[in-house]
Amino acid sequence: MSTSALRLSRRQALGLAAAGAAGAAGLRLVTLHLGGATAPVASASAAGPGGAWANPLGDARAQAAHLLRRAGFGYTPAELDAAASMAYADLVDALVNQKPDPLPLPARPTDYRSVVQTWYAHMATTTSQFPERMTLFLHGHFTSDYRKANRQPYVHQQNQTYRSLGLTDLRSLLRAVTYDPLMMAYLDLTRSSATAPNENYSRELMELYTMGVGNYSEADVREGARALSGIRVKAVDANGNTAQIPRPTSRTAAALSQYYAQLDQLAQQGVVFKGVVSPRQHDQGTKTYLGRTGNLGPDDVIDAILAKDATATFIAGKTLTYFSLMQPSNDYLNRVATAFRGSGYDMKTLMRTIFLSDEFRSGAAYRGLVRSPADYMVATMRALGQPDLAAMAVTAGQGMDQVLYDPPTVAGWPLNGGWVSSSAWLARLGFAQTVVNRGGSLPDPVTAVQTQLDGVVGADTARVFNASQTASDRWYALLASPEFHLK
Amino acid sequence: MFSRRDFLAAGLYSTAAGLIVPPVLAKGVLAAANDGIHNDRVLLVLQLGGGNDGLNTVIPFADGAYHDARPTIGITPDKVLKLDAQVGLHPALTGLKALYDAGHVAIVQGVGYPTPTYSHFEALHVWEYADPARRATDGWLGRLLASQQLDTQGHPFACCAAGEASEPTELRSQNLGAQVSVIDSLQSYRIQGGQGRELAVTNLYRKTPGLYGALFDSAVATAQDGIAALQKSSSYTPAASYEPRGVVYGSKVDLASALQLAAQIIVTQPAAKIIHVVLGGFDTHQQQDVRQQSLLAYVDTAVSAFMQDMTAHGVDKRVTLFTWSEFGRRVKENGSTGTDHGAASPMFVIGGAVKGGLLGRQSSLTQTVDSGNLAYSVDFRSVYQSLLRDWLGADPKPVLGQTFAESGLSWVA
Repeated sequence: MSTSALRLSRRQALGLAAAGAAGAAGLRLVTLHLGGATAPVASASAAGPGGAWANPLGDARAQAAHLLRRAGFGYTPAELDAAASMAYADLVDALVNQKPDPLPLPARPTDYRSVVQTWYAHMATTTSQFPERMTLFLHGHFTSDYRKANRQPYVHQQNQTYRSLGLTDLRSLLRAVTYDPLMMAYLDLTRSSATAPNENYSRELMELYTMGVGNYSEADVREGARALSGIRVKAVDANGNTAQIPRPTSRTAAALSQYYAQLDQLAQQGVVFKGVVSPRQHDQGTKTYLGRTGNLGPDDVIDAILAKDATATFIAGKTLTYFSLMQPSNDYLNRVATAFRGSGYDMKTLMRTIFLSDEFRSGAAYRGLVRSPADYMVATMRALGQPDLAAMAVTAGQGMDQVLYDPPTVAGWPLNGGWVSSSAWLARLGFAQTVVNRGGSLPDPVTAVQTQLDGVVGADTARVFNASQTASDRWYALLASPEFHLK
Repeated sequence: MFSRRDFLAAGLYSTAAGLIVPPVLAKGVLAAANDGIHNDRVLLVLQLGGGNDGLNTVIPFADGAYHDARPTIGITPDKVLKLDAQVGLHPALTGLKALYDAGHVAIVQGVGYPTPTYSHFEALHVWEYADPARRATDGWLGRLLASQQLDTQGHPFACCAAGEASEPTELRSQNLGAQVSVIDSLQSYRIQGGQGRELAVTNLYRKTPGLYGALFDSAVATAQDGIAALQKSSSYTPAASYEPRGVVYGSKVDLASALQLAAQIIVTQPAAKIIHVVLGGFDTHQQQDVRQQSLLAYVDTAVSAFMQDMTAHGVDKRVTLFTWSEFGRRVKENGSTGTDHGAASPMFVIGGAVKGGLLGRQSSLTQTVDSGNLAYSVDFRSVYQSLLRDWLGADPKPVLGQTFAESGLSWVA
């Protein structure tokens, strides 16, 4: 998060300096000739390095589109029509109150690619777009790597846990994360014991998940590891009873394949895994953690963290930079953090406060974020009405540097400028090329300039679009354009 | 056809021509000089991500305290590849041992910095920006590019990342003239769809508005110029097998392919100066015995193949490879057959022109800092200083901001 912010500070200063002038100039309509017909396309009045995008957010329809791009994954024209017919505050309420739509069990829950493909299709099709977006956000925040699951069906389970709890409260989320089998495996809690406490989760829980560096000591890391020791993964069947999990009979390919098939079958039967404190493995001694002393356990660790003011500020900052502005002002950050803390860490309050803020709908926010690869691909699937691109998205993400459940580091995914490189952009352009050439019907691209790009199109994009004759060439211009990679 | 960044390149070449060439560069002048290149030396950065356990890499096998601290993951003296009577290499590093014996590997022991941090991200920040105060906004190699001391600057391959899709932080700079070619693989480094699409992309990314406009345009221009340079370049056939032996555990990046790509860039692109490759997975809180063994064996095979390939192409004396990791690990093992985040650790500096040997000194295992972590004896910026000044022929001052004690590294003239 910090590296992208640092990297762009100079450019941001330029962009912000130009925003005032461009905003005042507003939109300029130009007429483009499209294969004999004419269609009005709006063009940004200020263009060029340092120039800003014209800001259309005074318009209710553009506001709805802006919100849907960030609170969800884009839209079809019909979805935008429905959203634009509502008052903005009502649209925010409707999104925040959407019920999470459970992720279907994939064909092979032990294979993360199967889970990720199912998830891409779900992101593209579910009408509960906001809980789905929160699931992707939380996957980046409380991130985990599929490798550490060692092909247990933990990836699907974590995905579903984040979805079902993403809009509850931070305490429930932190408890679920701490006892989540994939997280436990990822940050080495599964073997942490009284005699050998492992510090990995203890450190990242404070540094990356709740408070940030500077709000705890190295002693807190060590004492936290003791308090978090002794959690073990248990299998539970659909009736809540302990389930027997088979072991592979040997390490041969055939035996392993049979073993994973058995695990897949158990997952289909409703067997789930969860972390449980084992009193024999847990350190029962006295610990001193974040100023509290006693025989502290995992829940006490979470309570101690939630008692710190830094937690609401850290979470608000992380959420704001993901959803609203790359560099929120201190005033904005404090306002959102105060609302979040005051609500008892209610996630809906946090998100409603952000979406209703003036800053979220300001000229600086318009196209102020770079779509992540997952975001770009799902927005493409939704714009084209082609959720069957999910299988391709699983492999195409690699070149763009985002394979879900394979984050670059425990800090999760980059933001904005962190996604931009020569190689990653070639991969995005390659995805656009494959998508527009796979056959089948494409929606009307001229309409899409209005619905997907709010009619705010730079002079260069307008020229390329205008020079294109076929629907696939026009869609290429649209999906390859800088405009579509922003939100 | 003029490349999109020719205007920039032209500006930098003429600047370079006007510079006074430091004496050290005169030794590096080769046939490439007629391209405006005075120094054909390449610095290859190999990042070992996650914090490699230095104590099990360069092992103080003669120290009883080592075996006391590591009853299960310690390497017994009979298995260690001995460098002298005190220290030796992890048994997986047979290729590096051979290179060491041939005099092509310098090992700087006990490298670190004052007041170490045990957070991955803070420690990465320290090393990537060469700034323990963590106030710098550009990576240290990004600052080198911004100081315009490389005579091939403006060429898309002056600075590259191989086998990665994102730009490494070390190479980042807010100066847009300091562009980096990030090449995941050569097969995918192209604009799909033919000339029509190439033209469309050129036109789409010319003067993009907004915060990210210049960044987008610059990434696309760098890609297009790089693709053009590759099309014009000579052919390359690897002269060594990069195939890893055994299973590679827990790495996200294919280091062997990345190093082979780096070899191809070095052989076919005389303008190449800085290349970055990375291998992750060294955060061995658990199962270090299996995991570090696997990772080090992979590094060993890939680096050995790379050096063999460089020698076969007659360019081994043009290349210096160095390794770094954000920290070493705790002296005492943690009970999950692993180790937690630590401090000082060794760096490897490898190349046909490198004067090999053991530099610095092994940190004490009993006189530790911060409850059981290794104290440093060589500041990592001393190593950077040597690499910048004595290898690349650059003035380290604008990059590092101050002068550091000598690392002891040197190169054959």
